[in-house]
Amino acid sequence: MKLDHPELQSRLAAEYVLGTMHGGARRRFDEYLRHHRGLQAAVARWEAHLTPLAEQIAPINPPSRVWRRIEARINGKIPGNKSPLSTGNLGQNGARSPVLGGLFQSLFFWRGLGMGASTLAMGLLVSIFVGNVMPTHDPMMTAVLEDQGVARMVVEQPKSGMLMVKMVKPWKTAPSNSLQLWVMPKDGPPRSIGIINQDGSTKINMQDLDGMLNDGLAFALSKEPMGGSPTGLPTGMILCKGVIAKMPPKQAPKQQI
Amino acid sequence: MPDPTTNEYLISLLSRTSLGDRPAFNALYDAAKSKLFAVSLRIVRERHIAEEVLQDSFVKIWHHAADYAAAKSAPMTWMTAIVRNRSLDIVRRPQHEVADHDDFFALNMPDEGPTPPVQLASKRDQAQIVRCMKGLDDEQHKAIALAFFDGLSHSEVAIQLKRPLGTVKTHIRRGLLKLKDCLDGHVNEGAGA
Repeated sequence: MKLDHPELQSRLAAEYVLGTMHGGARRRFDEYLRHHRGLQAAVARWEAHLTPLAEQIAPINPPSRVWRRIEARINGKIPGNKSPLSTGNLGQNGARSPVLGGLFQSLFFWRGLGMGASTLAMGLLVSIFVGNVMPTHDPMMTAVLEDQGVARMVVEQPKSGMLMVKMVKPWKTAPSNSLQLWVMPKDGPPRSIGIINQDGSTKINMQDLDGMLNDGLAFALSKEPMGGSPTGLPTGMILCKGVIAKMPPKQAPKQQI
Repeated sequence: MPDPTTNEYLISLLSRTSLGDRPAFNALYDAAKSKLFAVSLRIVRERHIAEEVLQDSFVKIWHHAADYAAAKSAPMTWMTAIVRNRSLDIVRRPQHEVADHDDFFALNMPDEGPTPPVQLASKRDQAQIVRCMKGLDDEQHKAIALAFFDGLSHSEVAIQLKRPLGTVKTHIRRGLLKLKDCLDGHVNEGAGA
């Protein structure tokens, strides 16, 4: 009997998920699992079947030190830290650039953007967009997306229903990948804005754009399979992100730059 | 205030976590911690080890939240599987057990198999497995429950039930087959509905 036999796969996967597989076998199974899609699917099916049994176990509160230790271990790190763009530059204590790490990880940021960040974002934006792709009138909102404190991309809404995205410099990704832009709302999962060009600017026209951005707090760019995330939610590493600075609606004097 | 028990809420927290949203991760931890701690404690039996399992699991969830979207399972199922796996890894360390390679006679060079779609819904899955467990013989039920909830190995189940090792292995193997038939049967019913 070979390992690609569905019945054997299912039997091994069942014992693996149930937990009766012994240490040596379990570790070898883990090795196979890494590369064998048939086994992965069999394990996923058994996990889906058996794991809901755990709902019958009465909850027990863990001590609060567990969360403190989790926080300490992830401190200063963001998901997708395998990215070559986000390796290095982490401080000794996990301290990151105050612009990216601080903003993205602080409660204040998620509850409402600090004015300092808005001002900084706008300042950066104005200097980058001067005489460039943007229309001359004031945008409705802007965001500078950063990685490790380095500005990588600027997103601006010049008018209702339109979004302009500009790379600070072309992004080097494998041609088989797409770059997908997301808006992070105040509540709920991220919403896809769309796929953007890797090497220049992208103009996005969307009828329901204003609604999507209405309660948006931040933009993030993720690396996805060609054509975009197959699930409707981010699946790849986060390449850069930045807070949204909204312009006051009636207070838009022409800026002299 | 969102209902912290709904799949939608947990999915939303996981997807925000994948974008580095620390408060969402904190909320995810708060929503799941007591369930997951209890799952681990049943298996590893020592509080300080269960605490470590919970830590390791949530560090993993933080770094791999983006993988959740591809898992296509209910969020609690996905997280519980991470916690159970970590707990089992610990109690299955070599110093904790005698060698037993029965299951591995067939592990040669693996070939790539197809990946059938897995589509899951937590509540329905729970009702199914509870119903199917009830359909097992008493001995099969006991053996599988001891293995699942308490993380016991074949030989530990045998000691607990005062049965020969071979008998316990047979009970578990046949019980799992019966569960599979029951669960697959139910899946087909569900798909036809």
